[in-house]
Amino acid sequence: MPSSTEPIGRDKSLKVPRFRAGFESWNRKLHFYAGLFLLFFMWLFALSGLVLNHPSWSFTEFWSNRKQTNYEHTLTALGPDVKGDLGQAHEIMSQLGIEGEILWTTTRTEANYFDFQVRRPGRFFFIKADLARKRVTVQQSDVNLWGVIRALHTFTGVQLDDPRNNRDWALTSLWAYSMDAVAAGLIVMILSSWYMWFELPQKRLPGAVVLGLGSLMCGLFCVGLRWLY
Amino acid sequence: MRGRVYKLIRDLHLYLGLFISPFVLVFAISVFFLVHSWLPRIFSETSTKRVISAWPLPGDWQTLSGRPLIDALKPALEKAGVRGEVGFVRHIVKEEKLIIPVTIPGRETTVTISIATREATIMTRETGLAEALVTLHKSPGQHGPGIRMNWFYMKAWRWMADATVYLILFISVSGIYLWYVLRAERWVGLILLFAGALSFFGMVYALIH
Repeated sequence: MPSSTEPIGRDKSLKVPRFRAGFESWNRKLHFYAGLFLLFFMWLFALSGLVLNHPSWSFTEFWSNRKQTNYEHTLTALGPDVKGDLGQAHEIMSQLGIEGEILWTTTRTEANYFDFQVRRPGRFFFIKADLARKRVTVQQSDVNLWGVIRALHTFTGVQLDDPRNNRDWALTSLWAYSMDAVAAGLIVMILSSWYMWFELPQKRLPGAVVLGLGSLMCGLFCVGLRWLY
Repeated sequence: MRGRVYKLIRDLHLYLGLFISPFVLVFAISVFFLVHSWLPRIFSETSTKRVISAWPLPGDWQTLSGRPLIDALKPALEKAGVRGEVGFVRHIVKEEKLIIPVTIPGRETTVTISIATREATIMTRETGLAEALVTLHKSPGQHGPGIRMNWFYMKAWRWMADATVYLILFISVSGIYLWYVLRAERWVGLILLFAGALSFFGMVYALIH
């Protein structure tokens, strides 16, 4: 019985045109090469997805187990070329030696008081700056491995319902684009698997049944529920 | 014996992979929307509004919160034809209003009840397929575990999302076995596996430290 993972035999390569045989061979290689390259990314997103869907699993609790440290720091005057909230936040972070993704959670009400958050997987900084007194207080929270795993799943620097937050750290962009690459890789792997399955005549019918069943169930959630209710 | 195990694993890899492929596609496609905070509007969003008078509020609703409140509000919602997963119910004391968000993937309904007049305004927004995929990707999610999955279909979706994870783990492990059997591909595969591990751990290390 031909297999999706076996090399194409000599007999088969004689029957099919050379281009198609080459495509089949590379399609099969692409499937497991992509799978092997993306293996750790897939495991991370699969495992973290499971953890995010089960917040009641107490062993994955991270926030109550965090290590918190508070400290104060004196600021040197922010130069006149430092403009806007983002510029000021970057300047304060640079003086504190903090790197990460800036998160705007509060609206600035007074020019001299400036509060913002900086996040990176496993670490949260709550920064309160008093620009008039040139003092800044930092509350730093370090979370455990479960906190890191959760953060990696959602660390995009943007939120659909909050246009104020944009990516402002190069590593956030790198991670976000790697998420794109993993998603694109998975789509390629699925398409290549469909092709490999379709090239196996004996498995076409049972494969169509399970693929149809999966599509029906998935389609129910994506579009069917809106029709039914 | 070894050949039989190989065939079994190969068939399970194929059929289970085919079964979960639509679910993986849902998660993979919605990644682009979530990462870039962008939703394609293929069809224009439609919204409808209707008003219902004499909305039956349960007598003890003010003493309830969280899941018991949702359970108490559900019969009236169903009677009004509003079905779906109920989100955080907000009581705006100043305005004497109760706001109930109800979600079906691709549709958002907001029921605003005037407590004084018992008049309910039902606003339904058809948000489309892209939004449906995002809703499913984020469901049930990490927030509000006490109230989530109050609609059977969302509970079922969590089973499916969990099953997708377990099957991905099985498919990846069985895939490693099937690749390892191919001696000619072992070296290239090992190099790619190592390159992937290096990229992954390198990026994670840079993000954390």
